[in-house]
Amino acid sequence: MSRPDWIVLALTLLGMIAYGLYKGRTSRDLEGYFLSNRSVPWYMVLLGIMGTQASAVTFLSAPGQAYTDGMRFVQYYFGLPLAMVVLCISFVPVFHRLKVFTAYEFLEQRFDLKTRAFTSFLFLVQRGLSTGISIAAPSIILSSLLGWDILWTNIFMGGLLIIYTVMGGAKAVAYTQQLQMIIIFGGMTIAGYLVIHRLPAGVGWADILHTGGKAGKLNIITTGFRGKSFDWNDKYNLISGVIGGFFLALSYFGTDQSQVGRYLTARSLTESRIGLLLNGLVKVPMQFLILLLGVMVFTFYQYNREPIFFNQAELKVLEHSKYKDSLALVTSQYEAVEKERLGVPGADAATDPDVAAGHAAAAVRAQRVVAMQKEKEGYKSTIKRWLNDVGEDSNDTNYIFLRFVTDYLPKGLVGLLIAVIFLAAWGSIAATLNSLSSCTIIDFHKRFSSRQLSVEKEYSLSRLYTLFWGVFCVAVAQLAYNIGNSLIEAVNVLGSLFYGVILGIFLVAFYRKRIGGHAVFISAVIVEIAVVILTVLSRKGIVPLSFLWFNVVGAVGVVLLSEVLQLFMKKVAEPAGE
Amino acid sequence: MDEDRAPIFKKWSYWYVLVIAFLILCMLFFYLLTKHFS
Repeated sequence: MSRPDWIVLALTLLGMIAYGLYKGRTSRDLEGYFLSNRSVPWYMVLLGIMGTQASAVTFLSAPGQAYTDGMRFVQYYFGLPLAMVVLCISFVPVFHRLKVFTAYEFLEQRFDLKTRAFTSFLFLVQRGLSTGISIAAPSIILSSLLGWDILWTNIFMGGLLIIYTVMGGAKAVAYTQQLQMIIIFGGMTIAGYLVIHRLPAGVGWADILHTGGKAGKLNIITTGFRGKSFDWNDKYNLISGVIGGFFLALSYFGTDQSQVGRYLTARSLTESRIGLLLNGLVKVPMQFLILLLGVMVFTFYQYNREPIFFNQAELKVLEHSKYKDSLALVTSQYEAVEKERLGVPGADAATDPDVAAGHAAAAVRAQRVVAMQKEKEGYKSTIKRWLNDVGEDSNDTNYIFLRFVTDYLPKGLVGLLIAVIFLAAWGSIAATLNSLSSCTIIDFHKRFSSRQLSVEKEYSLSRLYTLFWGVFCVAVAQLAYNIGNSLIEAVNVLGSLFYGVILGIFLVAFYRKRIGGHAVFISAVIVEIAVVILTVLSRKGIVPLSFLWFNVVGAVGVVLLSEVLQLFMKKVAEPAGE
Repeated sequence: MDEDRAPIFKKWSYWYVLVIAFLILCMLFFYLLTKHFS
């Protein structure tokens, strides 16, 4: 990075810390520290919800995902608006009426202490570990691409935000998330504008869509059917997006304290509802635009030299492996093809007007371009095979967008886009640390301690727990880097392991009033074990089931099993007081 | 409850219909894009 980039990056990050400290002043009690005295307006609730969900990897990976796999990833979000509606009808009014600090407090009022503690414990384990990974994932990408030391990258990615999160609590989180989202949207808009600006004269929106479409990148809607049978292992399609995505979103926004904690800070029930419903309106179009940026970058590389592998660090590893000589040969062959391809007039057959007009010479030219594209893909596959063979990461998706940024964006703007990655991580992690701390003190320390704590003591303990979780998450991130990709992948499925079961407990709480604490607790434990077994079988390829469906299995499993168990329980639960 | 009046519309249910209708419109738009450019 150049000096202007470093200056922009440093000023943005330091400015954010200062802003968080300035805005984070609040009353020194739990209500102020965790709920910002329930004073946050709807637009800050909206930006807080969006900022908590969108991690650094959202902005790093999504354009790369569209570049390689097309835009079908957007279907993953189709269940989200439906979940927002259900939340506003059922979950949010109850949380507001009971004036809870954590979602799990409600479970003790509805069931019993053991169900509350079990659910809160699942949340702490899952969120603590996955937040560590959400620090590690972008840190590995940045340190690999820019040559930074991983420890310092982890500390900057997950450590600096601890300062304002510890000091200012939920209020600092809300205000910084607001500013972070504005900078993120601004940065991504500028990046999109510059991709178009760097395309050859005369190439515009229509050409981008045609090029993307012909290359199969505009596969926005897919059914998931292969022939006449539905592919349960297919990650992103209309059916899994609407059903699996609905259960995932309902669980994440309705039972994950990192999200519940955002809309509990709202001034009123109305402001919570408006924040959630607007999230339901804007999330799908926003994700569509981020993915479209990937298609734009793809089109850009149809007119410019595309690297054989975007992650240069992995190529350097190959240069020092047994494939050193083969790599040099393949790279030179690839460069020759790329040079020839870019030298062909109308190198992008999809937008060549002569091809459209049916000119014979243009058609031959287009066929040659297609053949060269296939040849390029062959060389790329060879590189990936070699990387797999030497035990390195062959997934290039996460590096595409950032490589474009560092290679083609002007000085200063590279620093801003790197800052966007940091800020996206900070918004998500800060909200999580705040929620981990609130669950630790509200659901465990205060609940199980026999000593009465003073207001001042509670406040200082809350800060200490926030600090503890911050350090814990950075330590997990560093550990994840040392252990490698296998752990990252394992922890990435943690969410799907627990979310379904947690949602099942809440669904029983809200909709099955006759079911008591014992039935739901035993069901949750049994179904959790079943989901873990199912996940292992799925990862071994024995059961072909994509991770989104685990949420459905967990939630429906808890509801059905607790119904059955309740039939054998003598004592029938009293309906929740409404 | 006075604090829970739906803004802009008379009832919250209109908001819910808006969110679901907008999702369906998005899906339809995406379907047409997929069809047209594939």
